Amino acid sequence: MIRIVTLEKLDPADLAFLTRTLYQAFGLGTELAGERAVPSDVETSDGRLDAVKLLKEVAPVRTFADDKVLYIVGAPLALPPGPLGEPPCWGFAEYGKERAVITTANLPARGVTEASIEAWRRRLAREAIHAVGHLWDLHHCYDAKCAMHPSWSQSLPANPEMELCSFCRDKSERKIRLAKT
Amino acid sequence: MRGPPARHHDEAREQLPAPEGLIADASELKPNDRVVYPSQGVCVVVGDEEMEIAGQKQQFVRMAREEDGSAISVPKNKVPSIGLRRVATGAQMEGVFHYLGAVYDDPELDWKVRHRDNADRLIAGGVLGVAEVVKGLHSLSRLRPLPTKEREQYDNARHLLVHEVAVSLGVPPGIAEDYIDYALMPPAGVKFDLKPPPAPVLLPSRPKKRLPVAEEEEGGALADLGLGDLGIDLGALDGALEGEAVAGEEGHGEGEGEREGEEAGEGGAEGAEAAGEEEAPPPPPRPERKPKAPPKERKAAEKKERPAAAAKPAGAKVAEKKAKAPQAKAAKPAKAAAKKGPTKKAAEKPARAAPRRGGKKK
Repeated sequence: MIRIVTLEKLDPADLAFLTRTLYQAFGLGTELAGERAVPSDVETSDGRLDAVKLLKEVAPVRTFADDKVLYIVGAPLALPPGPLGEPPCWGFAEYGKERAVITTANLPARGVTEASIEAWRRRLAREAIHAVGHLWDLHHCYDAKCAMHPSWSQSLPANPEMELCSFCRDKSERKIRLAKT
Repeated sequence: MRGPPARHHDEAREQLPAPEGLIADASELKPNDRVVYPSQGVCVVVGDEEMEIAGQKQQFVRMAREEDGSAISVPKNKVPSIGLRRVATGAQMEGVFHYLGAVYDDPELDWKVRHRDNADRLIAGGVLGVAEVVKGLHSLSRLRPLPTKEREQYDNARHLLVHEVAVSLGVPPGIAEDYIDYALMPPAGVKFDLKPPPAPVLLPSRPKKRLPVAEEEEGGALADLGLGDLGIDLGALDGALEGEAVAGEEGHGEGEGEREGEEAGEGGAEGAEAAGEEEAPPPPPRPERKPKAPPKERKAAEKKERPAAAAKPAGAKVAEKKAKAPQAKAAKPAKAAAKKGPTKKAAEKPARAAPRRGGKKK
Protein backbone atom coordinates (compact mmCIF):
# COMPACT_ATOMS: atom_id res chain seq x y z
CA MET A 1 0.00 0.00 0.00
CA ILE A 2 1.22 3.51 -0.80
CA ARG A 3 0.03 6.22 1.58
CA ILE A 4 0.22 9.88 0.57
CA VAL A 5 0.59 12.52 3.27
CA THR A 6 0.53 16.21 2.40
CA LEU A 7 2.46 18.85 4.34
CA GLU A 8 0.77 21.68 2.40
CA LYS A 9 -2.63 22.25 0.87
CA LEU A 10 -3.06 20.52 -2.51
CA ASP A 11 -5.95 20.47 -4.97
CA PRO A 12 -8.06 17.28 -4.54
CA ALA A 13 -8.11 16.77 -8.32
CA ASP A 14 -4.29 16.80 -8.36
CA LEU A 15 -4.19 14.25 -5.57
CA ALA A 16 -6.73 12.05 -7.36
CA PHE A 17 -4.54 12.10 -10.49
CA LEU A 18 -1.49 11.27 -8.36
CA THR A 19 -3.08 8.30 -6.59
CA ARG A 20 -4.32 6.92 -9.90
CA THR A 21 -0.89 7.24 -11.50
CA LEU A 22 0.94 5.61 -8.58
CA TYR A 23 -1.50 2.72 -8.66
CA GLN A 24 -0.87 2.24 -12.38
CA ALA A 25 2.90 2.46 -11.99
CA PHE A 26 3.35 -0.08 -9.17
CA GLY A 27 0.08 -2.01 -9.12
CA LEU A 28 -0.33 -1.22 -5.43
CA GLY A 29 -3.27 0.31 -3.67
CA THR A 30 -2.77 4.03 -3.08
CA GLU A 31 -4.67 6.25 -0.72
CA LEU A 32 -4.53 9.63 0.97
CA ALA A 33 -3.50 9.35 4.61
CA GLY A 34 -4.25 12.94 5.58
CA GLU A 35 -2.32 16.11 6.24
CA ARG A 36 0.49 16.77 8.71
CA ALA A 37 2.34 19.89 9.85
CA VAL A 38 5.95 20.59 8.91
CA PRO A 39 8.21 20.04 11.98
CA SER A 40 9.44 23.29 13.38
CA ASP A 41 13.17 22.69 13.67
CA VAL A 42 13.93 21.28 10.22
CA GLU A 43 14.37 24.63 8.52
CA THR A 44 17.91 25.52 7.48
CA SER A 45 19.48 29.00 7.58
CA ASP A 46 18.53 29.70 3.95
CA GLY A 47 14.83 28.92 4.44
CA ARG A 48 14.90 25.42 2.96
CA LEU A 49 13.93 22.24 4.78
CA ASP A 50 16.50 19.62 5.72
CA ALA A 51 15.14 16.57 3.91
CA VAL A 52 16.83 13.96 6.11
CA LYS A 53 15.77 15.66 9.31
CA LEU A 54 12.23 16.20 8.07
CA LEU A 55 11.69 12.49 7.44
CA LYS A 56 12.97 11.69 10.92
CA GLU A 57 10.81 14.20 12.72
CA VAL A 58 7.57 14.40 10.78
CA ALA A 59 4.51 12.98 12.56
CA PRO A 60 4.06 9.33 11.56
CA VAL A 61 0.98 7.75 10.00
CA ARG A 62 -0.39 4.31 10.78
CA THR A 63 1.25 1.74 8.50
CA PHE A 64 1.53 -2.01 8.10
CA ALA A 65 4.42 -4.15 6.82
CA ASP A 66 5.65 -3.12 3.35
CA ASP A 67 3.56 0.05 3.33
CA LYS A 68 5.27 3.05 1.77
CA VAL A 69 4.58 6.59 2.89
CA LEU A 70 5.09 9.54 0.54
CA TYR A 71 5.19 13.06 2.01
CA ILE A 72 4.59 16.06 -0.26
CA VAL A 73 5.95 19.43 0.81
CA GLY A 74 5.81 22.86 -0.84
CA ALA A 75 9.06 24.37 0.47
CA PRO A 76 12.41 23.62 -1.21
CA LEU A 77 14.47 20.80 0.30
CA ALA A 78 18.16 20.70 1.14
CA LEU A 79 20.67 17.83 1.30
CA PRO A 80 24.05 17.77 3.05
CA PRO A 81 26.85 18.74 0.62
CA GLY A 82 28.92 15.91 -0.87
CA PRO A 83 32.53 15.69 -2.11
CA LEU A 84 31.68 17.71 -5.26
CA GLY A 85 29.09 20.03 -3.71
CA GLU A 86 25.40 19.86 -2.90
CA PRO A 87 23.26 18.08 -5.47
CA PRO A 88 19.91 19.62 -6.40
CA CYS A 89 17.14 18.16 -4.26
CA TRP A 90 13.78 17.21 -5.78
CA GLY A 91 13.08 14.69 -3.05
CA PHE A 92 14.67 12.23 -0.70
CA ALA A 93 13.83 8.59 0.00
CA GLU A 94 15.05 6.14 2.61
CA TYR A 95 16.39 3.60 0.14
CA GLY A 96 14.54 0.28 0.47
CA LYS A 97 12.65 1.46 3.55
CA GLU A 98 9.35 3.14 4.30
CA ARG A 99 9.40 6.91 3.91
CA ALA A 100 10.08 9.40 1.16
CA VAL A 101 9.51 13.12 0.71
CA ILE A 102 9.16 15.16 -2.48
CA THR A 103 8.84 18.89 -3.03
CA THR A 104 6.67 20.85 -5.43
CA ALA A 105 9.03 23.85 -5.25
CA ASN A 106 11.11 22.77 -8.27
CA LEU A 107 8.16 21.94 -10.53
CA PRO A 108 7.21 24.33 -13.35
CA ALA A 109 4.49 26.85 -12.49
CA ARG A 110 1.05 25.24 -12.22
CA GLY A 111 -0.66 28.05 -14.11
CA VAL A 112 -4.37 28.25 -14.80
CA THR A 113 -4.71 26.71 -18.25
CA GLU A 114 -5.65 23.09 -18.69
CA ALA A 115 -2.40 22.33 -20.48
CA SER A 116 -0.21 23.85 -17.77
CA ILE A 117 -2.13 22.11 -14.99
CA GLU A 118 -1.84 18.80 -16.85
CA ALA A 119 1.92 19.33 -17.29
CA TRP A 120 2.28 20.15 -13.58
CA ARG A 121 0.35 17.05 -12.53
CA ARG A 122 2.41 14.83 -14.77
CA ARG A 123 5.64 16.23 -13.39
CA LEU A 124 4.43 15.78 -9.82
CA ALA A 125 3.45 12.20 -10.62
CA ARG A 126 6.90 11.58 -12.10
CA GLU A 127 8.64 12.77 -8.95
CA ALA A 128 6.30 10.66 -6.83
CA ILE A 129 7.02 7.53 -8.90
CA HIS A 130 10.75 8.31 -8.65
CA ALA A 131 10.62 8.55 -4.85
CA VAL A 132 8.46 5.46 -4.37
CA GLY A 133 10.77 3.61 -6.80
CA HIS A 134 13.67 4.27 -4.41
CA LEU A 135 11.56 2.84 -1.61
CA TRP A 136 11.29 -0.35 -3.69
CA ASP A 137 15.11 -0.56 -4.11
CA LEU A 138 15.29 1.02 -7.57
CA HIS A 139 18.43 2.96 -8.43
CA HIS A 140 18.70 5.86 -10.82
CA CYS A 141 18.35 4.84 -14.44
CA TYR A 142 20.42 6.11 -17.39
CA ASP A 143 17.37 6.08 -19.65
CA ALA A 144 16.07 9.67 -19.89
CA LYS A 145 12.56 8.37 -20.66
CA CYS A 146 12.39 6.46 -17.39
CA ALA A 147 10.91 8.03 -14.25
CA MET A 148 14.01 6.89 -12.34
CA HIS A 149 16.31 9.15 -14.38
CA PRO A 150 17.75 11.90 -12.14
CA SER A 151 15.42 14.91 -12.15
CA TRP A 152 18.22 17.43 -12.67
CA SER A 153 19.78 15.68 -15.67
CA GLN A 154 20.46 17.76 -18.76
CA SER A 155 19.15 15.00 -20.99
CA LEU A 156 15.73 15.07 -19.33
CA PRO A 157 13.16 16.50 -21.78
CA ALA A 158 11.06 19.54 -20.86
CA ASN A 159 7.96 17.41 -20.35
CA PRO A 160 9.36 14.06 -19.18
CA GLU A 161 7.55 10.74 -19.16
CA MET A 162 5.99 9.53 -15.93
CA GLU A 163 6.58 5.82 -16.55
CA LEU A 164 9.26 3.33 -15.62
CA CYS A 165 11.45 1.72 -18.28
CA SER A 166 11.07 -2.04 -18.78
CA PHE A 167 14.15 -2.87 -16.66
CA CYS A 168 13.01 -0.74 -13.70
CA ARG A 169 9.45 -1.99 -14.01
CA ASP A 170 10.60 -5.62 -13.96
CA LYS A 171 12.83 -4.99 -10.98
CA SER A 172 10.12 -3.21 -9.00
CA GLU A 173 7.61 -5.96 -9.79
CA ARG A 174 10.11 -8.56 -8.60
CA LYS A 175 10.72 -6.68 -5.36
CA ILE A 176 7.01 -6.19 -4.75
CA ARG A 177 6.37 -9.89 -5.39
CA LEU A 178 9.05 -10.83 -2.87
CA ALA A 179 7.72 -8.45 -0.25
CA LYS A 180 6.55 -9.95 3.03
CA THR A 181 2.88 -9.20 2.55
CA MET B 1 39.96 11.37 -20.24
CA ARG B 2 40.93 7.98 -21.60
CA GLY B 3 39.43 4.80 -20.24
CA PRO B 4 41.20 2.37 -17.94
CA PRO B 5 44.24 0.64 -19.51
CA ALA B 6 44.01 -2.71 -21.25
CA ARG B 7 44.76 -5.95 -19.52
CA HIS B 8 48.45 -6.78 -18.93
CA HIS B 9 49.25 -9.85 -20.99
CA ASP B 10 52.89 -10.27 -20.09
CA GLU B 11 52.87 -9.76 -16.36
CA ALA B 12 52.15 -12.45 -13.87
CA ARG B 13 49.05 -12.20 -11.68
CA GLU B 14 51.06 -12.01 -8.45
CA GLN B 15 53.09 -8.96 -9.49
CA LEU B 16 50.10 -6.64 -9.71
CA PRO B 17 49.29 -4.28 -6.84
CA ALA B 18 46.43 -5.35 -4.58
CA PRO B 19 43.62 -2.84 -3.95
CA GLU B 20 44.18 -0.58 -0.98
CA GLY B 21 42.94 -1.94 2.35
CA LEU B 22 43.04 -5.60 1.32
CA ILE B 23 42.86 -7.92 4.31
CA ALA B 24 45.78 -10.31 4.08
CA ASP B 25 45.13 -12.34 7.20
CA ALA B 26 42.03 -13.38 9.13
CA SER B 27 43.65 -12.30 12.40
CA GLU B 28 43.23 -8.65 11.29
CA LEU B 29 39.45 -9.00 11.59
CA LYS B 30 37.71 -8.16 14.83
CA PRO B 31 34.03 -8.16 15.77
CA ASN B 32 32.11 -5.07 14.54
CA ASP B 33 34.71 -4.32 11.86
CA ARG B 34 33.17 -3.19 8.59
CA VAL B 35 34.58 -4.87 5.52
CA VAL B 36 33.67 -5.09 1.84
CA TYR B 37 33.13 -8.52 0.38
CA PRO B 38 33.60 -8.34 -3.43
CA SER B 39 30.30 -8.55 -5.34
CA GLN B 40 28.36 -8.78 -2.04
CA GLY B 41 28.78 -5.38 -0.46
CA VAL B 42 29.51 -4.04 2.98
CA CYS B 43 29.51 -6.61 5.78
CA VAL B 44 30.00 -6.44 9.54
CA VAL B 45 32.25 -9.00 11.20
CA VAL B 46 30.24 -10.89 13.81
CA GLY B 47 32.99 -13.13 15.15
CA ASP B 48 34.73 -16.49 14.77
CA GLU B 49 33.07 -19.86 14.76
CA GLU B 50 34.09 -23.47 14.41
CA MET B 51 32.14 -25.81 12.17
CA GLU B 52 32.52 -29.45 11.33
CA ILE B 53 32.44 -30.13 7.61
CA ALA B 54 32.93 -33.63 6.19
CA GLY B 55 34.31 -34.81 9.52
CA GLN B 56 36.88 -32.03 9.77
CA LYS B 57 36.73 -29.10 12.14
CA GLN B 58 37.36 -25.75 10.46
CA GLN B 59 37.64 -22.19 11.71
CA PHE B 60 35.36 -19.63 10.03
CA VAL B 61 34.94 -15.88 10.16
CA ARG B 62 31.26 -15.07 10.44
CA MET B 63 29.94 -11.87 8.85
CA ALA B 64 26.54 -10.28 8.29
CA ARG B 65 25.70 -8.27 5.19
CA GLU B 66 24.57 -4.79 6.25
CA GLU B 67 22.00 -4.42 3.53
CA ASP B 68 19.78 -7.35 4.47
CA GLY B 69 21.51 -9.11 7.36
CA SER B 70 22.44 -12.23 5.35
CA ALA B 71 25.00 -14.41 7.13
CA ILE B 72 28.31 -15.14 5.41
CA SER B 73 30.90 -17.58 6.76
CA VAL B 74 34.38 -17.64 5.26
CA PRO B 75 37.05 -20.21 6.16
CA LYS B 76 39.89 -18.39 7.84
CA ASN B 77 42.50 -19.74 5.45
CA LYS B 78 40.49 -18.41 2.47
CA VAL B 79 40.31 -14.83 3.75
CA PRO B 80 43.46 -13.61 1.93
CA SER B 81 42.33 -15.01 -1.42
CA ILE B 82 38.69 -13.79 -1.64
CA GLY B 83 39.57 -10.11 -1.90
CA LEU B 84 38.04 -9.00 1.40
CA ARG B 85 39.00 -5.37 2.06
CA ARG B 86 38.32 -2.50 4.40
CA VAL B 87 35.71 0.13 3.55
CA ALA B 88 37.23 2.94 1.46
CA THR B 89 38.66 5.87 3.36
CA GLY B 90 37.67 9.52 2.82
CA ALA B 91 40.74 10.18 0.67
CA GLN B 92 40.02 7.18 -1.54
CA MET B 93 36.41 8.26 -1.88
CA GLU B 94 37.44 11.76 -2.92
CA GLY B 95 39.56 10.23 -5.69
CA VAL B 96 36.58 8.16 -6.79
CA PHE B 97 34.38 11.25 -7.10
CA HIS B 98 37.02 13.13 -9.04
CA TYR B 99 37.22 10.13 -11.34
CA LEU B 100 33.42 10.02 -11.75
CA GLY B 101 33.26 13.75 -12.47
CA ALA B 102 35.91 13.68 -15.21
CA VAL B 103 34.82 13.60 -18.85
CA TYR B 104 35.18 10.10 -20.21
CA ASP B 105 35.04 9.54 -23.93
CA ASP B 106 36.69 6.20 -24.53
CA PRO B 107 34.41 3.31 -23.57
CA GLU B 108 35.59 -0.18 -24.53
CA LEU B 109 33.52 -1.18 -27.55
CA ASP B 110 34.35 -4.88 -27.72
CA TRP B 111 31.65 -6.42 -25.54
CA LYS B 112 33.58 -9.59 -24.76
CA VAL B 113 36.62 -7.72 -23.48
CA ARG B 114 34.43 -5.20 -21.69
CA HIS B 115 32.29 -7.75 -19.91
CA ARG B 116 35.27 -9.83 -18.79
CA ASP B 117 37.24 -6.79 -17.62
CA ASN B 118 34.26 -5.38 -15.76
CA ALA B 119 33.68 -8.67 -13.96
CA ASP B 120 37.35 -8.67 -12.87
CA ARG B 121 37.17 -5.04 -11.78
CA LEU B 122 34.15 -5.72 -9.60
CA ILE B 123 35.94 -8.57 -7.85
CA ALA B 124 39.52 -7.38 -7.59
CA GLY B 125 39.51 -3.68 -8.33
CA GLY B 126 38.51 -2.18 -5.01
CA VAL B 127 36.17 0.81 -4.82
CA LEU B 128 37.87 2.46 -7.79
CA GLY B 129 37.32 -0.68 -9.86
CA VAL B 130 33.60 -0.56 -9.08
CA ALA B 131 33.53 3.15 -9.99
CA GLU B 132 35.29 2.35 -13.27
CA VAL B 133 32.59 -0.17 -14.16
CA VAL B 134 29.82 2.32 -13.37
CA LYS B 135 31.51 5.12 -15.28
CA GLY B 136 32.42 2.95 -18.27
CA LEU B 137 28.96 1.46 -18.70
CA HIS B 138 27.30 4.80 -18.06
CA SER B 139 29.30 6.49 -20.80
CA LEU B 140 28.59 3.56 -23.11
CA SER B 141 24.87 3.89 -22.39
CA ARG B 142 25.03 7.39 -23.84
CA LEU B 143 26.15 5.90 -27.16
CA ARG B 144 23.68 3.00 -27.24
CA PRO B 145 21.36 1.14 -24.86
CA LEU B 146 23.11 -1.55 -22.86
CA PRO B 147 22.28 -5.22 -23.49
CA THR B 148 20.41 -7.00 -20.70
CA LYS B 149 23.44 -8.66 -19.12
CA GLU B 150 25.40 -5.45 -19.00
CA ARG B 151 22.37 -3.55 -17.76
CA GLU B 152 22.26 -5.95 -14.82
CA GLN B 153 26.01 -5.62 -14.32
CA TYR B 154 25.65 -1.84 -14.34
CA ASP B 155 22.87 -2.01 -11.78
CA ASN B 156 24.86 -4.37 -9.54
CA ALA B 157 27.96 -2.17 -9.74
CA ARG B 158 25.89 0.91 -8.95
CA HIS B 159 24.33 -0.88 -5.98
CA LEU B 160 27.76 -1.81 -4.59
CA LEU B 161 29.12 1.69 -5.13
CA VAL B 162 26.10 3.40 -3.55
CA HIS B 163 26.36 1.32 -0.40
CA GLU B 164 30.10 1.71 -0.04
CA VAL B 165 29.88 5.48 -0.56
CA ALA B 166 27.06 5.63 1.99
CA VAL B 167 29.07 3.73 4.60
CA SER B 168 32.29 5.57 3.88
CA LEU B 169 30.76 9.08 4.01
CA GLY B 170 28.24 8.24 6.73
CA VAL B 171 25.15 9.32 4.74
CA PRO B 172 21.97 7.43 3.80
CA PRO B 173 22.18 5.45 0.51
CA GLY B 174 19.62 7.76 -1.13
CA ILE B 175 21.95 10.72 -0.68
CA ALA B 176 25.01 8.68 -1.70
CA GLU B 177 23.32 7.92 -5.01
CA ASP B 178 22.54 11.59 -5.53
CA TYR B 179 26.23 12.39 -4.97
CA ILE B 180 27.26 9.78 -7.54
CA ASP B 181 24.81 10.98 -10.16
CA TYR B 182 25.65 14.60 -9.47
CA ALA B 183 29.21 13.71 -10.48
CA LEU B 184 28.17 11.55 -13.44
CA MET B 185 25.42 13.82 -14.81
CA PRO B 186 25.99 17.36 -13.54
CA PRO B 187 23.09 19.79 -14.07
CA ALA B 188 23.34 22.48 -16.73
CA GLY B 189 25.84 25.19 -15.90
CA VAL B 190 27.71 23.23 -13.19
CA LYS B 191 31.45 22.71 -13.64
CA PHE B 192 33.58 20.91 -11.10
CA ASP B 193 37.05 21.90 -10.01
CA LEU B 194 38.50 18.44 -10.43
CA LYS B 195 41.82 17.08 -9.28
CA PRO B 196 43.68 14.54 -11.40
CA PRO B 197 41.91 11.18 -10.94
CA PRO B 198 43.76 8.31 -9.21
CA ALA B 199 45.74 5.76 -11.21
CA PRO B 200 43.35 3.33 -12.90
CA VAL B 201 43.05 -0.26 -11.74
CA LEU B 202 45.50 -2.66 -13.39
CA LEU B 203 43.83 -5.87 -14.37
CA PRO B 204 45.60 -9.20 -13.92
CA SER B 205 46.68 -11.27 -16.90
CA ARG B 206 44.52 -14.17 -17.90
CA PRO B 207 45.91 -17.59 -18.81
CA LYS B 208 45.85 -18.12 -22.55
CA LYS B 209 43.35 -20.64 -23.83
CA ARG B 210 44.75 -23.73 -25.50
CA LEU B 211 43.50 -24.05 -29.06
CA PRO B 212 41.95 -27.45 -29.72
CA VAL B 213 43.55 -29.55 -32.49
CA ALA B 214 41.00 -30.56 -35.09
CA GLU B 215 42.49 -34.01 -35.84
CA GLU B 216 42.72 -34.97 -32.21
CA GLU B 217 39.17 -33.83 -31.65
CA GLU B 218 37.77 -35.93 -34.48
CA GLY B 219 39.77 -38.98 -33.45
CA GLY B 220 38.83 -38.45 -29.85
CA ALA B 221 35.14 -38.08 -30.68
CA LEU B 222 35.10 -41.34 -32.62
CA ALA B 223 37.08 -43.08 -29.92
CA ASP B 224 34.62 -41.79 -27.32
CA LEU B 225 31.76 -43.53 -29.08
CA GLY B 226 33.34 -46.87 -28.28
CA LEU B 227 32.84 -48.18 -31.83
CA GLY B 228 36.11 -50.07 -31.69
CA ASP B 229 34.71 -52.19 -28.90
CA LEU B 230 31.73 -53.12 -31.09
CA GLY B 231 34.05 -54.43 -33.81
CA ILE B 232 33.51 -51.55 -36.25
CA ASP B 233 36.57 -50.45 -38.23
CA LEU B 234 37.21 -46.80 -37.36
CA GLY B 235 39.40 -46.25 -40.42
CA ALA B 236 36.59 -47.32 -42.75
CA LEU B 237 34.16 -45.10 -40.89
CA ASP B 238 36.48 -42.10 -41.32
CA GLY B 239 36.62 -42.81 -45.06
CA ALA B 240 32.84 -42.94 -45.26
CA LEU B 241 32.51 -39.66 -43.37
CA GLU B 242 35.00 -37.98 -45.73
CA GLY B 243 33.05 -39.31 -48.73
CA GLU B 244 29.88 -37.76 -47.37
CA ALA B 245 31.64 -34.48 -46.84
CA VAL B 246 32.86 -34.47 -50.48
CA ALA B 247 29.35 -35.21 -51.74
CA GLY B 248 28.05 -32.31 -49.64
CA GLU B 249 30.64 -30.00 -51.15
CA GLU B 250 29.68 -31.07 -54.61
CA GLY B 251 26.06 -30.30 -53.91
CA HIS B 252 27.09 -26.89 -52.74
CA GLY B 253 29.15 -26.46 -55.88
CA GLU B 254 26.12 -27.15 -58.03
CA GLY B 255 24.24 -24.35 -56.35
CA GLU B 256 27.11 -22.01 -56.98
CA GLY B 257 27.27 -23.07 -60.58
CA GLU B 258 23.62 -22.28 -61.05
CA ARG B 259 23.98 -18.91 -59.43
CA GLU B 260 26.97 -18.10 -61.57
CA GLY B 261 25.06 -19.15 -64.62
CA GLU B 262 22.15 -16.88 -63.77
CA GLU B 263 24.43 -13.94 -63.13
CA ALA B 264 26.27 -14.61 -66.34
CA GLY B 265 22.98 -14.45 -68.16
CA GLU B 266 22.50 -10.94 -66.82
CA GLY B 267 25.85 -9.35 -67.29
CA GLY B 268 28.49 -11.70 -68.72
CA ALA B 269 30.44 -14.65 -67.42
CA GLU B 270 33.59 -12.78 -66.47
CA GLY B 271 31.76 -10.08 -64.58
CA ALA B 272 29.77 -12.66 -62.71
CA GLU B 273 32.89 -14.53 -61.65
CA ALA B 274 34.46 -11.33 -60.43
CA ALA B 275 31.33 -10.47 -58.45
CA GLY B 276 31.29 -13.95 -56.98
CA GLU B 277 34.86 -13.50 -55.83
CA GLU B 278 34.06 -10.18 -54.21
CA GLU B 279 30.90 -11.22 -52.44
CA ALA B 280 31.66 -14.70 -51.19
CA PRO B 281 34.90 -16.01 -49.64
CA PRO B 282 36.99 -18.14 -52.05
CA PRO B 283 35.87 -21.77 -52.07
CA PRO B 284 38.29 -24.35 -50.63
CA PRO B 285 40.51 -26.16 -53.15
CA ARG B 286 39.14 -29.46 -54.39
CA PRO B 287 41.97 -31.51 -55.79
CA GLU B 288 39.96 -34.77 -55.90
CA ARG B 289 37.37 -33.43 -58.25
CA LYS B 290 39.29 -33.43 -61.53
CA PRO B 291 40.84 -36.87 -61.30
CA LYS B 292 37.39 -38.38 -60.61
CA ALA B 293 36.95 -38.86 -64.33
CA PRO B 294 34.34 -36.67 -66.01
CA PRO B 295 32.66 -38.47 -68.94
CA LYS B 296 34.77 -39.02 -72.02
CA GLU B 297 32.32 -37.24 -74.31
CA ARG B 298 32.53 -34.04 -72.28
CA LYS B 299 36.33 -34.10 -72.29
CA ALA B 300 36.38 -34.48 -76.02
CA ALA B 301 33.87 -31.66 -76.51
CA GLU B 302 35.91 -29.38 -74.27
CA LYS B 303 39.08 -30.10 -76.23
CA LYS B 304 37.33 -29.16 -79.45
CA GLU B 305 35.76 -26.02 -78.08
CA ARG B 306 38.73 -24.55 -76.18
CA PRO B 307 40.65 -23.00 -79.11
CA ALA B 308 37.44 -21.64 -80.62
CA ALA B 309 36.23 -20.16 -77.31
CA ALA B 310 39.31 -17.94 -77.02
CA ALA B 311 38.39 -16.19 -80.26
CA LYS B 312 34.68 -15.83 -79.51
CA PRO B 313 33.12 -12.60 -78.09
CA ALA B 314 31.57 -12.37 -74.58
CA GLY B 315 27.99 -12.91 -75.83
CA ALA B 316 28.98 -16.17 -77.45
CA LYS B 317 30.63 -17.27 -74.20
CA VAL B 318 27.37 -16.72 -72.33
CA ALA B 319 25.41 -18.78 -74.83
CA GLU B 320 28.01 -21.50 -74.59
CA LYS B 321 27.86 -21.56 -70.82
CA LYS B 322 24.09 -21.86 -70.90
CA ALA B 323 24.42 -24.79 -73.21
CA LYS B 324 27.07 -26.38 -70.99
CA ALA B 325 25.04 -26.09 -67.81
CA PRO B 326 22.70 -29.01 -68.46
CA GLN B 327 25.64 -31.13 -69.60
CA ALA B 328 27.46 -30.41 -66.38
CA LYS B 329 24.35 -31.30 -64.40
CA ALA B 330 24.14 -34.53 -66.25
CA ALA B 331 27.77 -35.29 -65.52
CA LYS B 332 27.59 -34.72 -61.75
CA PRO B 333 24.97 -37.31 -60.86
CA ALA B 334 26.89 -39.69 -63.04
CA LYS B 335 29.88 -39.17 -60.74
CA ALA B 336 27.79 -39.93 -57.73
CA ALA B 337 26.47 -43.01 -59.44
CA ALA B 338 30.02 -44.14 -60.20
CA LYS B 339 30.84 -43.94 -56.50
CA LYS B 340 27.87 -45.99 -55.41
CA GLY B 341 28.08 -48.46 -58.24
CA PRO B 342 26.69 -48.61 -61.81
CA THR B 343 22.88 -48.73 -61.69
CA LYS B 344 20.51 -48.06 -64.57
CA LYS B 345 18.32 -45.63 -62.68
CA ALA B 346 21.18 -43.32 -61.81
CA ALA B 347 22.32 -43.23 -65.41
CA GLU B 348 18.84 -42.49 -66.73
CA LYS B 349 18.00 -39.60 -64.36
CA PRO B 350 20.37 -36.97 -65.82
CA ALA B 351 19.33 -37.90 -69.33
CA ARG B 352 15.74 -36.94 -68.46
CA ALA B 353 16.71 -33.77 -66.62
CA ALA B 354 18.83 -32.27 -69.37
CA PRO B 355 16.25 -31.85 -72.16
CA ARG B 356 13.60 -30.63 -69.71
CA ARG B 357 15.74 -27.66 -68.61
CA GLY B 358 16.71 -26.90 -72.16
CA GLY B 359 13.03 -26.83 -73.01
CA LYS B 360 12.31 -24.32 -70.24
CA LYS B 361 14.96 -21.92 -71.44
CA LYS B 362 13.49 -21.92 -74.90
